[in-house]
Amino acid sequence: MNDFLIILIKTCVIYGCLIGAAALMTLAERKFSAWMQLRYGPNRVGPWGLLQPLADGVKFIFKEELCPDGANPWIFRLAPILSAVPAMLTVAVIPFAGDVNLFGVDCGNLSITDLDIGVLFLVAIGGLSVYGVILGGWASNSKYSLLGGLRASAQMISYELSLILIILCVVAMTGSLDLRAITEAQNTGNPLSWNVFSQPLAFVIFVIATFAETNRHPFDFAECEPELVAGFHTEYSSMKFALFFLGEYCAMIVMACLTTTLFLGGYSVPFWEDAPWFVELGSFCAKAGFFAFLFIWVRWTLPRFRFDQLMHLGWKVFLPLALANLLVTGAVISLA
Amino acid sequence: MVIVKRKTLTLAERLYLPEILRGLSITFRKMFQPKVTRQYPEEPLPTNEVTRGQPRLRELTEGHLACVSCGLCEAACPAYAITIDGQETDRFIEREPERFEIDMLRCILCGFCEEACPKEAIFMSTELELAGFTRESFKYGIDKLKRSTEELAPRMEYIKRINERW
Amino acid sequence: MTKIIVNGREVEADPQKPLIAACHDHGEHVPHYCYHPGLSAVGSCRICQVEVKQGEMPARVVAACRTPIAEGMVVNTDSEGAHDSRRECLEFLLKNHPLDCPICDKAGECSLQDYSFQEAQAEGRSSEPRRKLEKRKDLGDVILLDQERCILCSRCVRFMDEVPKSPQLCISGRGSHSVVETWQDAPLTGNYQGNLADVCPVGALTLKDFRFQARVWNLTRVPSTCSECSRGCSITAEVLRDGEVKRMRPRPNENVNGYWMCDHGRFSEGELNRSDRMAPAALRDDAGQLTAADPGDALRVIQNLLSVQSQALLLASPYLTVEEGEAFSQLARSLGRQASFFSPEPNDLRDDVLHTGDPCPNRRGLQEAGLTPMSSDEWAAASAAADCILLVGERLLDMLGDEALAGLPATQRLVVMECRASDHPAVDVAIGVPNRVERSGTWINVDGAAGAIRAARPAPQGVRTIVDLLADLTTTSGQPEEALSS
Repeated sequence: MNDFLIILIKTCVIYGCLIGAAALMTLAERKFSAWMQLRYGPNRVGPWGLLQPLADGVKFIFKEELCPDGANPWIFRLAPILSAVPAMLTVAVIPFAGDVNLFGVDCGNLSITDLDIGVLFLVAIGGLSVYGVILGGWASNSKYSLLGGLRASAQMISYELSLILIILCVVAMTGSLDLRAITEAQNTGNPLSWNVFSQPLAFVIFVIATFAETNRHPFDFAECEPELVAGFHTEYSSMKFALFFLGEYCAMIVMACLTTTLFLGGYSVPFWEDAPWFVELGSFCAKAGFFAFLFIWVRWTLPRFRFDQLMHLGWKVFLPLALANLLVTGAVISLA
Repeated sequence: MVIVKRKTLTLAERLYLPEILRGLSITFRKMFQPKVTRQYPEEPLPTNEVTRGQPRLRELTEGHLACVSCGLCEAACPAYAITIDGQETDRFIEREPERFEIDMLRCILCGFCEEACPKEAIFMSTELELAGFTRESFKYGIDKLKRSTEELAPRMEYIKRINERW
Repeated sequence: MTKIIVNGREVEADPQKPLIAACHDHGEHVPHYCYHPGLSAVGSCRICQVEVKQGEMPARVVAACRTPIAEGMVVNTDSEGAHDSRRECLEFLLKNHPLDCPICDKAGECSLQDYSFQEAQAEGRSSEPRRKLEKRKDLGDVILLDQERCILCSRCVRFMDEVPKSPQLCISGRGSHSVVETWQDAPLTGNYQGNLADVCPVGALTLKDFRFQARVWNLTRVPSTCSECSRGCSITAEVLRDGEVKRMRPRPNENVNGYWMCDHGRFSEGELNRSDRMAPAALRDDAGQLTAADPGDALRVIQNLLSVQSQALLLASPYLTVEEGEAFSQLARSLGRQASFFSPEPNDLRDDVLHTGDPCPNRRGLQEAGLTPMSSDEWAAASAAADCILLVGERLLDMLGDEALAGLPATQRLVVMECRASDHPAVDVAIGVPNRVERSGTWINVDGAAGAIRAARPAPQGVRTIVDLLADLTTTSGQPEEALSS
């Protein structure tokens, strides 16, 4: 009973934080982009515009729900859910910190669950999110949506390949599919044991592939405003539109967490092997926060690729490099 | 004919990543530079005599407009925003507007009316703000358009000055 | 016919007319102020100068309005010499002309403006002050004179002398003291004063009625025909943006009115601008009030009345067009009745110039369409005998008078198709119709000349044309085919 309560509380806290962080990301996106363009960004709602996401949410709720003529209404409604839910599900296996001891109660590790096939779960559920995009694009009965959806599915499948191959390298080094085990393997107190140092090429490919996987700039062909109006969610309005955005930002946060876990030692604190849980959590948040910022930073720096360039990069550059990386990793492990 | 030579890229440029990092560093530095946005309602736009705001009518003598309702601004207005009806007066200049209406929703602030006016009666003021709840409330009559000569004096001076150039 | 060469083109010209008329007839415009095709030529303004070469003599610049046509004349209206003379002439004319175009009603249709612009004559060399004269001189009920604007072309003087043949204006004084005046400032009289404002090439003589009413370039001009007498003068109805008829002016028509019209017709626009228009359809309800009804219902009520009552009186207004008269007599034939039109008594406005004294503009046309005229006495008798009365057309109620309607027996049904709203208790069904600036058609004047009227503005919302309404009544009451064949 007590265990169940603890898990329930942990789940609520983590999901609450995830949604809150996603909301905050929308604000951060606008703030950082404004600053990079020498503007102020939203600063009217609440102090420093902090309540802007709330205002946006209220606006979304009051917007009119539209369903285009000739659209498949059920799939049309299903798509935003399919887009948001997988992105939020994957956060369940991310280890945010070690043992939590709160008010003398041992709450176990700070993660919803520590699956021993955590990586597999993450990849499997993450792969589902492509359905939201392609179904949304297809059900809208609009050429722009359809093209956006097609591009997104092609792109996500292409980059998922490299992404998984890179994860395999890390998994091979650790010998475990459990994300906590992967973290613990890097948590030696010495930052040099982080995977980013042993696998620099893999790290670079992984980070770039996450951009493609989350449909972010410079690979946001699913939206691609100059060509496709707004891509797969052209026809969406109101809360359905908001759900797509929630999905996108949740996916970004999860990917930032994943990158942290796989390459930057997760919650490990440099030069402090047995740090208390809140220091570990702070360390994790700082690293994940940097990657979340990187998503925004890159978006407002780089121009969009061309679609053929994207495919060229995915299939002709990243895939061979990832394969080679896996080969070398495997060879080194088997020789050592 | 201009021949543009395509630059051969260095290895670092072809690798793309160093260039990305360079771009990132530029945007990062920009984040800390002073902002150029004007916080509008608190910091209003600076106006001077060159500002072409909403057209206003000049009051020549107490209670009387300089306008003689000749209709040239009405004819010059490309947006058909101006409507004038004339009437007779006992003053030396026998004609004055009975109704002078500018539909501010139609007005495009082009200043043609000011240019067409032979009587120095209509000028582009520095008034820029326009808000209302009904379409009717944007039809400005004489009562809303009338401004004293002093208020419009800088603009009058400016117009005289640029007219002397021709 | 004499052959002359105008601007390199050989044309045939009438030797009875001055040279300027020949130029105008063949599309070569020569500026003119004092010349008017309807008046004698005096050659006082000198703007109409053209270069003429005759025989072996060198080319000379002459005033085209005072030069008779001679065989073999070579005329150049566009020569440098002619333009020079015109510019000098304009400079003199503008010497004393005030710069009050912004307040002048003539601005926009002023010859002085047009020719100054055309000849690019804007600069004057004179530094003397302009002469100060009376700017608001009252010349009776119709005309206001601004002596400063006058260029002394004497068109107005000649008009009063020659057209109504009642000389009242003269140019008094000499040199720069000349002004147009009446004897001892007596007000002008007569029925043709309004034409003075038309003949004046500048803004010196203006209509009091039109003073500061509109800028002329805002007026939409529609050719039409005057309604006030059976002369049917060709006119232009000029309508301001909101549909108000601002003025009516004569349209040159050699066969009917020449260049003129009478004041009685000119100032008849008041009745056209009335705001108390009849609703598209109104029926008397149970409470005895005339209330707006569906037009279809109202027409059905009229059909029922006409089919039930056998002694219907069908009376049209004299302002009905030929087309409407035709439709009206078809309706009458389908009912087996005789259609009539109301023929008011001749008035005392008859003169030798234009006015015929007969207020029916379409008497001939309606008679040709098969309608019989009905005087007020005949109307009194016929209305008493009828069990149902159908009145169609504008101004009919005013002509009959409210007393005539009040005297009708209570059992009688009265259907009115009118422009003006009426809540007379005798009216049972009322249908709104367009007035004469809202519909198109033809009137035939006393001499048999057809005059077209044209819609200058749309009819009020929901109001249908008289022809449409009558056609609807005809096709559904009685058997029109049978009536036509018999």
